[in-house]
Amino acid sequence: MSRSLPQPEEIQPEEPRAGKTGPGRTGPTARPRKTPPTVRIQPPQTPRTRPGRDLTVPPWGFVVPALVVYALVVLYPSIAGVAYAFTDWSGIGDASFVGLANFRALLDDQRTLDSVVNTLLLTIAVVVVQNVVGLLLALGVDTGIRSKSLLRVVFFAPAVVSPVMVAFLWKYVYNPEPTAGLNGLLGAVGLGALRQDWLGDPSLALWSVAAMVVWQYAGYSMVIFLAGLQGVPPELHEAAKIDGAGTWQRFRYVTWPMLAPALTVNLMLSTIGGLKLFDQVYAATNGGPGTASETLSTALFKEAFVYGKFGYSTAVALVLALFVAVVSLVQLRFLRAREVTA
Amino acid sequence: MTTGQGQERSAGRTGGADLRSGTTARSRRGFLRAGGGIVAAGALPPVLSGCSGGSGDGLRIVGVTDQQQPVEELLKLYRRSRPGEAFTTSFAPTEQMQTVVRTQLAGGNAPDVHAVYPGSGSAMSMVELARAGLLTDLSTQPWAANIPSAFGTAYRYEGHTYLYSAGSCLIGAIYNKRVFSRAGVEPPSTWQELLAVCTRLRARGVVPIALGAQTPWVTQLISYALVPNAVYAHNARFDDDMAAGRTSFRDSGWADALGRYQELQRKGFFNDNPNGTTFEQQTAMVATGKAAMAVQVSAVLGVFREATESPEDLAMFPFPGGDDPARLWIPAGIVVGLGVSVRARRDPRAADFIAFLGKQENIDRWASAVFAIPFRRDASTTVDPVLEPFLPIVDDGRAVPFMDQRWPNAEVQPAHFAAVQDLLSGETDVRGALGQMDDAYRRAS
Repeated sequence: MSRSLPQPEEIQPEEPRAGKTGPGRTGPTARPRKTPPTVRIQPPQTPRTRPGRDLTVPPWGFVVPALVVYALVVLYPSIAGVAYAFTDWSGIGDASFVGLANFRALLDDQRTLDSVVNTLLLTIAVVVVQNVVGLLLALGVDTGIRSKSLLRVVFFAPAVVSPVMVAFLWKYVYNPEPTAGLNGLLGAVGLGALRQDWLGDPSLALWSVAAMVVWQYAGYSMVIFLAGLQGVPPELHEAAKIDGAGTWQRFRYVTWPMLAPALTVNLMLSTIGGLKLFDQVYAATNGGPGTASETLSTALFKEAFVYGKFGYSTAVALVLALFVAVVSLVQLRFLRAREVTA
Repeated sequence: MTTGQGQERSAGRTGGADLRSGTTARSRRGFLRAGGGIVAAGALPPVLSGCSGGSGDGLRIVGVTDQQQPVEELLKLYRRSRPGEAFTTSFAPTEQMQTVVRTQLAGGNAPDVHAVYPGSGSAMSMVELARAGLLTDLSTQPWAANIPSAFGTAYRYEGHTYLYSAGSCLIGAIYNKRVFSRAGVEPPSTWQELLAVCTRLRARGVVPIALGAQTPWVTQLISYALVPNAVYAHNARFDDDMAAGRTSFRDSGWADALGRYQELQRKGFFNDNPNGTTFEQQTAMVATGKAAMAVQVSAVLGVFREATESPEDLAMFPFPGGDDPARLWIPAGIVVGLGVSVRARRDPRAADFIAFLGKQENIDRWASAVFAIPFRRDASTTVDPVLEPFLPIVDDGRAVPFMDQRWPNAEVQPAHFAAVQDLLSGETDVRGALGQMDDAYRRAS
């Protein structure tokens, strides 16, 4: 294989541009032009190799190792997972192909269908409350208050804590004892009538978990909204002020439309997070009491590792993955259409 | 640093690549170097697999946290005569162990010796694993011949022994003697006496029975304490009848047992909000004297003792589910044991270790560490004094295995947990709760 080496070449220095020393500068002070020096560039050194022994690798060849790893670690398990969804595999031993039986069973399984309803309710609650709280926090710390840097750190801090740790922490907050945790606090401020069995009452358990998730991730939403707020040009606010717009009108007609990209990101992330919620539910309530706080993720975990129905569990996981993908795409399409830029 | 500099030098040498042509040249040495990397990457999985299990360097033992004390104690003794041999042990709570070991079993790199639950009814039960051909037959070991026939279903599948377990732990009431004494009551021996004692304790401002039903496995204990009298005292072949479809939970004494469970709650004998109370909170209530007793397995006696300043205040009595003390039946379940993976079948060390555990003195040591009664006792066997009230009942054959050890699949037990929590929160009634369990029982395993 032959290839041409770069030849030594003569490079002429650029003509001086117009300016102080440019050609426009004429008159008695103009210095005579010197002959530009010739710069010789040596050809780059190449390894000495015998002709015909080199192996040429196209640029995309460098991606191959990464692709191989990706295929082994991500693609193969994913495709194998899809295949398991059509078997009756228990997680150990042999598996038999059962066609669509797992998907038919899923539609008839009240336990799984209840977990779908719980997942949707939990997701809606988390998406709405987390983003409202995150937006309010962002607006609050975007002002000129002196402690805003500290507050940003404080509000964001829970987002970096392990979800399981948060769940254990909140189990103490949700202690049903009248003098402990949240109940104790309510009693101390004269709201003893509001004391509840937060995780043990089937009508409350799901919402208690939602509150825990909102507490953890509202600061995360805040940071994204904050980035959006800081991208709003101040001139727009000043112009609106000159036009006589009040605080609310400036938020409604200037800030809010400009926050659309941040809102898109926040809604997407919180929706996906809500639909996949596992750790906090599993550690705080284990899906109980009864099945009151069972989500699709905890249900499929139990199907696989507690009940030993790996094939069925994979079918549930596949449906969950498709569900998340469809919801995310629809949401993204809708939200992107509403975005404006400065 | 040297390596880094070498890489930089190498990069400098290849700096003459002809980028205009869109290709890059590599020397044969460079290609071989890259190829070596790929070969190394290909070799990595087997290397990791070798590290993570199999019969590589040492015997690998994976157990549940409950087994940690006896396994470590006995392994120490075992290694005295085998100083050159390597062993690795790791322990985790049941669900974590179950998740990891099942995955390893599926992947073919299971530990040599691992936790196995007796009978059926769990995803890591002896029957489930033996049926899949994943356990080594231990029938020829001397201790296997001494397993009482009443415990056969816990240890054997199709006539072969696949489980080593030291014996049975009991369910009863762990109680605070000082609280009982202050209220002027004695441990009851009949259901009516139990109600009277609870009434007296409640009148003295003490929670009679602490119940931490937010922790799922705690929910089952009162059912298990009541079912032997309500079911097995009348029909010792109930499990066979269930398997044959001749009866159901709903149409059996289970309805009476859950009815009594509900009665205890209706009379206010539990702490407020049991579904929001955890096992740890339950333990603290009894240990501090806020509650008088808790229905628990004997295996957690150590935990209760650690939680109190005066461990001698804690004792245990058989929970009276019936009205005739002479005919009281109690639950006694075989404790979680060990099995040998088929991967380790040709490794004599695994079976040798189990044979060591099967010696009478070691069975006694293990049983003592987990407050269990050895499956075989001899003159040298000592049982914790707290368990002595149970021995006459066990020796009289009025102890039945924990109910889940004969259930046909791993779904009935979680269904029972959920049913009891629903019952406690008023979401369902006894028939509804037992209906959930019947549905789970009839699902294919």
